[in-house]
Amino acid sequence: MDSFSSPTMSSSGSPGDTEALMDQIKAQLAQAYAQEFLETVGNKCFAKCVTKPGSSLSGSESSCISRCVDRYIEATGIVSRALFSSSR
Amino acid sequence: MENNAEMQKFIAQEQQKAMVGEMVGKLTSVCWDKCITSTPGSKFSSGETTCLTNCAQRFLDMSVIIAKRFEMQ
Repeated sequence: MDSFSSPTMSSSGSPGDTEALMDQIKAQLAQAYAQEFLETVGNKCFAKCVTKPGSSLSGSESSCISRCVDRYIEATGIVSRALFSSSR
Repeated sequence: MENNAEMQKFIAQEQQKAMVGEMVGKLTSVCWDKCITSTPGSKFSSGETTCLTNCAQRFLDMSVIIAKRFEMQ
């Protein structure tokens, strides 16, 4: 269950241990967030761009997917800004 | 122990970031479905951008109503 490979942390560890652990946690969180984002984008763009799956992705499907990813990232920014800078 | 306090502060910050990130993620997903109805283009139309912004802000308005209503029960 413990996915950290670090040695046993005791409360008498040096500040360096804490720092290293925090860095490790941050890296794993970043990876988890990125993975989740990719999964969401994949679902959305497959739904929008690949309406009738053929024996391979067509050129238009590929460019649609490309645009879709860009747009979804842009949409995330728009929603983010709308939530945190609403002048109300 | 100083390390423990620092670690607790760190965990609290990361939890906060995670909650915010989840909110943004969910809202983007919902608003994308509502607002981006055609094949994605090389940029959003102004209607689509407005829709996304409105969607997020109306969701906030709704959350306030729901919270108030819930309080009254």
